[in-house]
Amino acid sequence: MTDTVNASPFSPEGREAESLHASPMPAAQTDEDSRPDTDTGAADTPSMEGEDSVYSAKDVAAPFYDRVSEAPSVSSGLWSDLPELPDDEELNRLRALLFQRELTIIQRLKDGLNDPRQNAKRVSEVIAEALLLRGDDDRLNTALEPTVNAILKSSLNRHQSDFVGVLFPLMGPSIRKSIAETFRSMLESFSKSLEMSFSWKGVRWRMEALRTGKPFSEIVLLHTLAYRVEQLFFIHSETGLVLSHLTNEGVGTQDADMVSAMLTAIQDFVRDCFISNSEGELESLHLGEFTIFIEKYSQAYLACVLRGTPPTGFREGLRATLETMLIEFAAPLESFSGDTAPFAGAARHLEPFLITRYRDEGKDLPWWGKALPLFALLILVGGIGSFQYYARELRQQQSAHVALMQKGLSFLRNEPGFMLTHVTQAADSPWEVMLLKDDLARTPDDVLRAHSFQPDAFTFKIIPYVSYDPSIVARRAENAIDLPPTVTIRFSHGTLVFTGTAPLAWIAGAKDTARTLPGVKHVDMSGVKDPLLDRITAMIQSIESADIEFPLGKAIPVPTDTPKLEAAVDTLVELERLVNDVGFVLTLTIYGHADAIGLERRNYEISQERARTVAAMLYARGSSIPIAMYGMGSQYPKGEKSSGQAVSAPKEDQASRRIELRVHIARPATSGVDIFTQ
Amino acid sequence: MINKKICMLGAFSVGKTSLVERYVHSVFSDKYLSTIGVKISKKIITVADQEVSMILWDMEGRDIFTDVNINYLRGAMGFFVVADGTRAETLDTALELRALVLGKMGTIPNALLINKDDLADQWEISEDMLQQTAAEGITVFRTSAKTGQSVEEAFQSLAKAMLKVGRNV
Repeated sequence: MTDTVNASPFSPEGREAESLHASPMPAAQTDEDSRPDTDTGAADTPSMEGEDSVYSAKDVAAPFYDRVSEAPSVSSGLWSDLPELPDDEELNRLRALLFQRELTIIQRLKDGLNDPRQNAKRVSEVIAEALLLRGDDDRLNTALEPTVNAILKSSLNRHQSDFVGVLFPLMGPSIRKSIAETFRSMLESFSKSLEMSFSWKGVRWRMEALRTGKPFSEIVLLHTLAYRVEQLFFIHSETGLVLSHLTNEGVGTQDADMVSAMLTAIQDFVRDCFISNSEGELESLHLGEFTIFIEKYSQAYLACVLRGTPPTGFREGLRATLETMLIEFAAPLESFSGDTAPFAGAARHLEPFLITRYRDEGKDLPWWGKALPLFALLILVGGIGSFQYYARELRQQQSAHVALMQKGLSFLRNEPGFMLTHVTQAADSPWEVMLLKDDLARTPDDVLRAHSFQPDAFTFKIIPYVSYDPSIVARRAENAIDLPPTVTIRFSHGTLVFTGTAPLAWIAGAKDTARTLPGVKHVDMSGVKDPLLDRITAMIQSIESADIEFPLGKAIPVPTDTPKLEAAVDTLVELERLVNDVGFVLTLTIYGHADAIGLERRNYEISQERARTVAAMLYARGSSIPIAMYGMGSQYPKGEKSSGQAVSAPKEDQASRRIELRVHIARPATSGVDIFTQ
Repeated sequence: MINKKICMLGAFSVGKTSLVERYVHSVFSDKYLSTIGVKISKKIITVADQEVSMILWDMEGRDIFTDVNINYLRGAMGFFVVADGTRAETLDTALELRALVLGKMGTIPNALLINKDDLADQWEISEDMLQQTAAEGITVFRTSAKTGQSVEEAFQSLAKAMLKVGRNV
């Protein structure tokens, strides 16, 4: 693009040069109007520094800056939309004639713009002013921040010792002061507790700690909390003039202005006389029970007059408040010339510190009070001995009482049917016992009396419950079952065991009752005998074992067995009477059997007839035994019980032609519980 | 309320404390009490409808002014140098002190008080010397703590000067 300019100095730029010649500024403005897409920012630049001769060259250059230069470094695109002028030779000559001087200027300016050294020079001339003009523009800060950071970092790395050299004198004193302050606070609290440990107060508080059982540190805290902030001064450090002054209620004060001046003078005096050349400050003054805390900064300081010992953290709070105030009143402090009006708000910060903590300390100690620590020591030494003796006595008395009560409780605990759920101990009143008690258990008073123990020592709250304690369960069984004198019971491991002799009916009833008792899992009646039972058992035995055979095809027993059948029937009748007497019911089942000879239908008939023969004999004797009769045919040959397994091949044997008798004894109107089974 | 810190400087026994006593409490005592360190007094006056509380730092008299306590001077808004009319050397001391303070504190309102005017017949400081001093632009008052002569006037004039400075700040 540059060569275009060189080859044809008259072309496109000519038009601009025209207006420039007459008056640079308006010309630029005119062009601005005609072509709104040109950069307006550049056009503003020259006008700002117009008076300054240094920038005059640039003033001229600026309008061209946008339009003339085609240097690659400048936005050449701005001129690309200019219309091409016709490359007419005559016109060119005319241009050369008319605008030679201007075109030369333009060319020089263009060359100048392309020269990096000149560009740098121009920028260097305005960079400071330009930055100033930008003022508080955040974008500039944002743009520069990474660069500045990088510079700082590399500079810090390269010149570490230089930075340390510069920063240390600035920060050193502050750091020192802060550390010293921390140590001082620590020492203050440490020496305070040390002081308390060895003073009369300390001894008294130790005793108080012993008496109340509170830790000593808590007692100290309790007492040291009592203090009163009497006055607060907010003072201008340099002049010593008071900026704000607060007094607590009922505090008689001197003139605050004079006090603050004097306080300032005292600080100066102390520093001059004792600690000149030091950076220290007078931090507190002590006079009897009064303390004046001074928290000082170069602009202002706080003086706090207080009586007693403030709690830990008080000074720190004071300092923090001062720091806040220094920030809030920074401007008026800086320009302070005696007017205190701007510091009216200071009181608001200070008021919270006018604290009063009352404590009943009593009167000042009389003369002998001073000697009290010695007395106290003597009394203490003597007292410790007697106290320990007394304490031991007391402890022994107390422990004896407690042991006795515990013994009483153990009686109650071991009593069957008792369950102690809660015991409230008391030093000088009956202990309250919460007790679960089975109805069958003894009363607690009886239990205690039984152990020769005074029942008054306890009061009871009794809740009924059912105990499974073996002795209680046994007692429960005894109560529930009407035991004949011939029967005894024993309860162990959940089983109620009966032994002795009793009628059958009783046995059955007792067994039923026993099973329903709480705590009874099993009932063992095998130890209870009815004398009748043996007889009945023997009779049943004889009946059921009667071996009665029949001739082939006959329902009448063989002649030799007829007496056997009669005897059995007689026994049955007698048994019926016996059983009925004790309230039971006798039932009989008769099974008739046949051999395998002949038709099986006939065999069934004959087996039924044989059973019927027995029944008929019974009824003939007046029995009313309920009888069940079964004709079994030849299915059950001799040797097999009718209730047993069938045998495939019936034997042609007389032994198979027989009857079987089965006797059952049951309680009437029951579910048929067999008393002979356990 | 406007507070002003004012320092009283001068050789010993020129009557600084007596001037303050006279000004603040309107009393005078012949008894000489040497001030050690500094003594603080206060007086509230009205200047141009403005109440001004004057905190007077009556400083220990020093003959060797070079070690005058600079710390006490800090923050002073005005000061008096006091000389004893009966001892010519105290004027030199006063003037040197004045130069010293102005050097340390910058230009602040001040005045020279030549005290013990009641003993005028014993004066070693001539009227010429005073004229000469005044010609240097120094405000000079001939005062007497005993009679109270010019004391009120001197303080009032200093207060006015200080208020003017204060307003300009």
